[in-house]
Amino acid sequence: MKKLLIVISSLALACGLCAKTLKIEVPPANLVGTPVPIKMTNLEPKAPNPEIEVPDDVTNVALKKPVTSSDDFPLIGELEYVTDGDKTAAEGTAVELMNGLQWVQIDLEKECEIYAIAMWHFHQQERVYHDVIVQVSNDPEFLTGVTTVYNNDFDNSAKKGKGENLPYIETNNGKVIVVNPPVKARYIRLFSNGNTTNDMNHYTEIEVYGK
Amino acid sequence: MKDFTRRDFLKTAGIAGGGLVLSSSLLRAQGKKAGDTLNIALIGIGAEGEILLNSLLKLPNLNFVAVCDIWKPRCTYGFRRIFREVKQKPEQYEDYKDVIKNHAKDLDAVVIATPDFWHSPMTCDFLEAGVNVYCEKMMSDTIEGAKKMVRAARKSGKLLQIGHQRKSNPRYIFARDKMLKEGKVCGRIMACNGQWNRAVTKDLTWPKNQEIPEETLKKYGYKDMAQFRNWRWDKGLGGGAISDLGAHQIDVFAWFLDANPKNVVASGSKEYYKKDWSDNVMCIFEYDNPDKTQVFYQVLTTTSSGGGYFESFMGDEGTLKMSENPALTKLFKENNGPDWEPLVEKGLIGKVESTNADAKIADSRESKPPMEFGFPEKIPGYDPDKPIHMPHLENFLGAVRGENKLNCDAEHAYAAEAVVFKAREASESGEKLAFQASDFVVED
Repeated sequence: MKKLLIVISSLALACGLCAKTLKIEVPPANLVGTPVPIKMTNLEPKAPNPEIEVPDDVTNVALKKPVTSSDDFPLIGELEYVTDGDKTAAEGTAVELMNGLQWVQIDLEKECEIYAIAMWHFHQQERVYHDVIVQVSNDPEFLTGVTTVYNNDFDNSAKKGKGENLPYIETNNGKVIVVNPPVKARYIRLFSNGNTTNDMNHYTEIEVYGK
Repeated sequence: MKDFTRRDFLKTAGIAGGGLVLSSSLLRAQGKKAGDTLNIALIGIGAEGEILLNSLLKLPNLNFVAVCDIWKPRCTYGFRRIFREVKQKPEQYEDYKDVIKNHAKDLDAVVIATPDFWHSPMTCDFLEAGVNVYCEKMMSDTIEGAKKMVRAARKSGKLLQIGHQRKSNPRYIFARDKMLKEGKVCGRIMACNGQWNRAVTKDLTWPKNQEIPEETLKKYGYKDMAQFRNWRWDKGLGGGAISDLGAHQIDVFAWFLDANPKNVVASGSKEYYKKDWSDNVMCIFEYDNPDKTQVFYQVLTTTSSGGGYFESFMGDEGTLKMSENPALTKLFKENNGPDWEPLVEKGLIGKVESTNADAKIADSRESKPPMEFGFPEKIPGYDPDKPIHMPHLENFLGAVRGENKLNCDAEHAYAAEAVVFKAREASESGEKLAFQASDFVVED
């Protein structure tokens, strides 16, 4: 059944039926200060965001949706910043969570078909966040039915399985994850474990494109 | 993962002065020795204060007594970091005078990272109250303010360290003492150049729901929130890029050359940001050493081009290009210079894999490129994973405990910053200005 849906979906998109190229708005670049050296050798080459064909009615279904976290006492900012629609790199747009492996979780409030996820951790400075893992599920506890759609934990330090994606440098372009084939889920959980500048975890904005 | 949550905070919020917190009255700011716990306060938790806090939180035997910032979210940030990372509960203050009033008798040290125009009054008040001070550079936005700090340190007998952190950087200390002084790798250093080039940045903003009340801003010397966030550009508050960035590097030239400059000519441009202080400044100094070394220094805030930030010592036998970023640090040997193998064997320099020795020369008038060497594999005290500000803080805290001397006390910092003040004056006036011996010392 799942395979049939994928085939039908792909055919519909291939024929241009009710399809569009997803437009993800990118905030202005706003790098501040002197770059901190990034001591990593396995970085993903910088590249433009991918072009993604999606059905016409796909939108950012995460906008203004409730956010919870492994750290419910942020060092600065509020969890609602994660889905407030403001992805600019300015004071007061990012929430900072404690060091160590932390997650934020978005409740889409109903099951959605997810085609892409875009994320901006912190882009006032070029840095790399460690152990970036993105999972989706219909289980708010993420105990069952968990699908990992992105994982750059190359050494399995987060103990959630070794990831095949490469660590990347944060920019104003964010990181766009193509979910192909699309996955149905209500909750999105995003992990990170500090960054190359400091030990903290930051989220400026998460967008989930689905219907 | 959930090491400390909002619920935990609420549960423990009533345990003020006990429980998780080391009572500050148990410790006294006198007779400290190696390993003793020190009571400290942090005044100013903006971008620089956060960098210092990152290091302080990794250092042992510190008891955070108070955090202070006029911007409530930043003060709370400092509190939460300390509370959650080292399980201490510093008191939060808006006004540093309340920190002095309530804690001076118990404080061993204070770390000040506020806008420049507050450095002098805060430092002088803490010293007068008997507290050792680590203050970020510049010492002050005015030379008179810096002089007051030197005099306050002398009068109080307390320690005053200024945040020229390269002075405690093991790589810089090794480069100066071993490579230049002992190994004489550069030969005669006839020229130096240095720069800090930064790309264009927009004015800093702030969340509209977190504005500081107008009366509070006025009380602390700011006309509005925009000035509070962008004070570095304004006369009367900060000193501009030549002061913010240049002070770090201009200090290195005098330190490495063991000399002060004789004169300076400089040019500044205010055409880009149209602010009080120049966007870009270019200076030429002539140093009062046997080789009469010429030093060119520029700070640019309109481009990141040109290779970042470094201080380069260009001798007739070799060139040492220093940078806080190890990747930008280079050592080159002139092809007609002496053999450096003995220096490699003595551990004063290291070899690198790539070399320019066989590079093709496109034009016969061009010199053959110099050969590349580097630092030896092991540099005493150098830990690549240690934040760059940490050694300078360790040096300060070690001095408070009587373990070592300060690497950048008020007198030495003043001599270094006097050069920056005059360079800035030269860039404003366009005149060639001479230094007098009296420029580098503070009279009583």
